[in-house]
Order: sequence, then structure tokens, then C-alpha cells
Amino acid sequence: MNWECCWNKDAVALGDCPNLREGDEDLLEFPQCRILEKCCDCPNFKRDLERFQASGHPLGPVFSLIHDEYRRQKTHIQSLISFLDSKSLEIRFLHELGSVLQSSVDLEEVLSVALTAITAGQGFGMNRAFILMVDHKLDHLKGYLAIGPRNYEEAHQAWDEIAHNDMDLQSLAQSFRANKLNSERAKFHDILEQISVPLANTSHILVKALDGKQPLLIEDAFHHPDVDPGFAHLLGVDTFLLMPLVSRNRRIGMIIADNCITHRPITQEDMQSLETFTFPVAFAIERASLYERLQEELNRVMEAHNKLKVQQELIVKMEKMALVGRITSSIAHSIRNPLMIIGGFARSMLKNTPTGDPKRNFIESIVGEARQLEGVLDEILNYSDSLYPTKDFWDINQLVETALRDSADILRTREYESTFSAGNELPPAYIDFKQVSYCLRIILQCDLNGAGRKRLVNIGTSREQDAIVIRIQDHGHYIPQQEMDSILVPFSSTQEMGAGLGLALCKTMLEKQEIPLNARTAPEDGIIFTIALPIHKEEQL
Amino acid sequence: MSRLLVVDDESNIRLLYAEELAEEGYDVVTAAGTAEAVEKLREGVFDLAVLDIKLKNESGIDLLQKLVKERHDMPVILCSAFSCYKDDFSAWLADGYVVKSGDMSELKQEIARVLAKKAQRQKTGA
Repeated sequence: MNWECCWNKDAVALGDCPNLREGDEDLLEFPQCRILEKCCDCPNFKRDLERFQASGHPLGPVFSLIHDEYRRQKTHIQSLISFLDSKSLEIRFLHELGSVLQSSVDLEEVLSVALTAITAGQGFGMNRAFILMVDHKLDHLKGYLAIGPRNYEEAHQAWDEIAHNDMDLQSLAQSFRANKLNSERAKFHDILEQISVPLANTSHILVKALDGKQPLLIEDAFHHPDVDPGFAHLLGVDTFLLMPLVSRNRRIGMIIADNCITHRPITQEDMQSLETFTFPVAFAIERASLYERLQEELNRVMEAHNKLKVQQELIVKMEKMALVGRITSSIAHSIRNPLMIIGGFARSMLKNTPTGDPKRNFIESIVGEARQLEGVLDEILNYSDSLYPTKDFWDINQLVETALRDSADILRTREYESTFSAGNELPPAYIDFKQVSYCLRIILQCDLNGAGRKRLVNIGTSREQDAIVIRIQDHGHYIPQQEMDSILVPFSSTQEMGAGLGLALCKTMLEKQEIPLNARTAPEDGIIFTIALPIHKEEQL
Repeated sequence: MSRLLVVDDESNIRLLYAEELAEEGYDVVTAAGTAEAVEKLREGVFDLAVLDIKLKNESGIDLLQKLVKERHDMPVILCSAFSCYKDDFSAWLADGYVVKSGDMSELKQEIARVLAKKAQRQKTGA
């Protein structure tokens, strides 16, 4: 019998058989392999079998039966291999996805990866996906983020871009997060904003899917009895997939995926694959959310810690200040009394010592030194007082009038005239009355070197923004600005205790209350002091 | 001659007050503490009292309150080593407040001012 197929030949050449092509060279000299791989599917072999069966040989029908069964099994194996390949790809993809999701505690990164995986070609290849999140405070399921094109042009543009860049899933997710997350959120804002379903609304398809913890493939959504028509119109598609995100029985959110552009049918396999994917996504979202909350709590704890630290420092400072207070109080009592006795008796003796008596000089020295020491003591005590500003709201015009009254005798002794121009309707200033009064008296009474043009001091008060400004113009003195500046530096090398430290002390005192004291000096104007007193409490500023 | 009661726990200060104020023409009686002051007050009438605030373990402020309550016609001047008592509301009960100093002119002026005020008050019957 002349056979059409080459199954009975030990060796063949390319071209002898229509099924042998380039790449099949290995089969040319191995008939067994060639028969199994090529001949069984060859129409020539099929005809040879038919002729063999027609020849009446009893094995003819048997061979045909075996051949048919072999071909059926082969097709089945090929479909299994194909299935296995697709599952291997899926497992590889899920592994990659799992690695990315497990390594991230950033909610936006997790969501970017999830959405990219659903829509990327190398992922689940859906056209569009929404992520809804459960707002546990409001007990609502709300639209959070979405990805996908809104029309054909945009879809083709995006797919071209993806094909052109040839990125893996992680790179795609990173690119999405870096470049498109906000724009996608803005793009789908209108839809996301409208998706807000109370979890108590158990008849809503979203809540049903979430409570059921099972994915739902919704088909013919516009006529589906369980789907709110408004919701179907909002999505604008009749077929979509609902994938609940549940982690440890906690409702996390929902993924909605559809093929709004290609309208490719969503299969049960798509649903099963996506279901496998939702577990790590739900877990990663929950973990990232918990991490975010943990960070917030940590920040709160850090903030509380810092506040406590500040409070602790303040307490330590206050303790030190209290110590200073106790020390100065002790100094006041222990030093002032002996000083008073020394100075007082020296004065008494001086009065009874006749002029020309050589002892008089000694006694005068004692009186002078005692006076000097009393001055030093006053300044030290005033400085320690300045550590405890006690602020309240005070009438500044009244304060100035009191200081002027207290200084009247000294100004008169120096043949000084004074004028006061009180500002109208001034609000009260938030100050330590005692300290500011002290400072004002010191400024009014300070006897600086350098004679000015006339013995006159003008005082004025006025409102300037959030402050009451006291302006004291002393026409009776003028000193160069450099010298003026050094006088205002507390404990500077040019100062000696008890010898004009007052102004520097005033500056220090006022600075502690964050009140600026400025002094400007000019030959034609004399010296102009300005003090800006706040009209609000610090916390109101 | 105005009669003054000076209360201070420091003997040298009492002596100084006595000398200086006597020179000004006052009849000065001194006391070292509250109990002695109360006793002196019981024995005679005074036109004015000068009190120290820190009296060893006693408080001149307490004595001031007692005097204001029982001898409201007798003015009191506080003379203390502490300037901060000026801000203590209790110290406001006093008719005057002077910080201790070897230069007693401020105290003398204050005594003269308070006595003049008292005389004026008595004259007008207020």
C-alpha cells in the first residue's frame, strides 16, 4: 500500500511533509517523535488511517479509535498546559503584588499598587477601577480613589503610553503614584464624591456585597433588581464587578472594576483571580491605615512629650526663680537692715561732727558707700522682681500719670518741666504694672550725662496697631547714639552696679515681657524713648 | 509733740529711729515685737505707729490689721526691707509705706505727711 504520510519513513527532509517546518529539524530522523508530534495531526496520516480501515484489517477501527482518543487527550493536555501557564503567570503576578503590598505601610502607595494591578495589562487588565473606603467614624462607605480612562481617546493614549514604556507592575504603580494619583482623583472627583453609602443601608448593593464578603458580578445593572438605578447611571456601565475588601472580619472597603471602554465580558475566572487579589489588598490597606493612625498617635505623643518637656523646663526655671526669690528676700532682710544701721548712724554722727573735723571725711565716706550699697541692693532686688512678671490689663494713661506724680519731686529738683499728652480712648495694655511703672520712673528720673537744649520732658501715649506706645522725649539730654545703645545693654562692661544700671535693667525687664524699649538720640531732639505695650494676651496674638 | 510708736525687732534700728525721730521733735516709744507693742498701746495714746513687717517670727502685717481694727484713728506707716510688700493688698491698709534706708528723710517726710493728713482730718471732722 502506498502511504501518503511519511510515518513509515526512517528519515525525511524538510519539504517531504507539509507539517514539517523550520525548527522541526530534530524530528527529521526520529520517526517516533515525528509520528507523535506531527503525523497524528496530519491530514495525510488521517487518510492513511482511513485507507487502512477500509482495507478490512481488523486493527483498522482500533487504530482509528486510538488515534481519535489520542488527539482528544492531546487537545485536553494542551488546554491544561495553557491553563497552567496562565495560572503560573497569575501566581507570579500575585507574588510580585504581594511583595509590593507587604513591604508598604503607605496607604497611597498601597492604593496605587492595587489600582494599577487591576487595570494594567500585565495585571487583571480591567479598564477602570474604583476604591471605596469605609469611614468608621461616619459609618459610611465612601468613594476614595479611581483609575482609568473616561473615554476612548484617553484610553488609547494611556494604553499607547504604557505599551511604549514597557514597565513592570511596581514601576507602573510608582509612576502612577508620582504622576497621576492626584490628577486621577480630580478626574473622578464627581463620581467619587457621589459614592457615599451608609453602612446601615443594607439594601444597597455595595453594602450587600460588603456584608456578604463575597465578590459580585453585576450584569445588566440598569435593570438589576438589587442595583439602585442612580448608582448604575453614576458608573455608566451595565456590567461591573464588586470586590469587598475585608480583613479579619473588619470591613475595609470595596473595589469596583469594569470594562467601560472595551466592554470585554467579565468572566468567572476574572472574578476568582480578583478575589484572590483582594485579600492581600485589604490586609495591606488596613495595615497602612493602622500605620497612618499609629503615626498620628506617635506625632500626638511626641507633641505631648515636647509640651511636657517645655513644662518641665518651665518648672525647673520657676524653681530656680523661686530660689532666686528666696535668696533675694534673704538678702533684702540680711543686708538692708545692717546697711540702714550703718548708713543711719553715720548720717547721725555726721550731723553732730563739726565742719573741719578730720573724722568728717571718714564718716562722709561711710555715708556715701552705704548709699551706694543701698542702690546696688535696690537694683538686685528689682532685677529679681523682674523674673516674675505678673501681667494684667492696665490703663496706660493712668500708669503714666502715676509715674509722673512719683517723679515730680525729682524733676522739680532738676528744674525740669514736663508735659503729658494722653491718647484718647486707648484700650488697656497687657503688662506687669509694677515693672512698667518702675521702668517709666527710671526713664523719667535718669540723669544721663550730656546737656540738651532745654530742660523739658514730653510724654505722649498713642495707639499703634496692636500696641500702646509711650513716647518720652527728654529735651534736657543728648548723648551719642553709640553711647545710648551701650547704656541699654544689661550688665555691659561700661556699666557699674549702682551707677546708672537702671536703664539697662528696664530694657531687660521689658524684654522679658516682650516689650521693646528703644532709645533714639539726636542733638536737636534730645533723647526719645519709646515703649510699645501689647494690648492682647500672648495667646490672643 | 506727736507721740510715735516704733516697732522693729532690731535693737540698733530701734535706737536709730529713736534718735533720728526725737531730733525731729517727736516723742518716740519703741517696741521689739507685737506683744510689747500691744502693751505699750495699752499704756498710752500714740499719734502714729511705724511698723516693720518682718518681726522675727511675727508679722507686722498682722499687727497692722489689729491696729486698723482697734485703733482706726491712729495712722500706721510700714517701714520694711522689702519693696514687694507694696503690692501685698494687706499692706494697703497702712497709711504709708517706706523702704528702709540709712537716709531717713523719706520716712521723716512720710511721717510728717501722714500726721498732717490726720490733723487735717481731725480739723474737718472727717
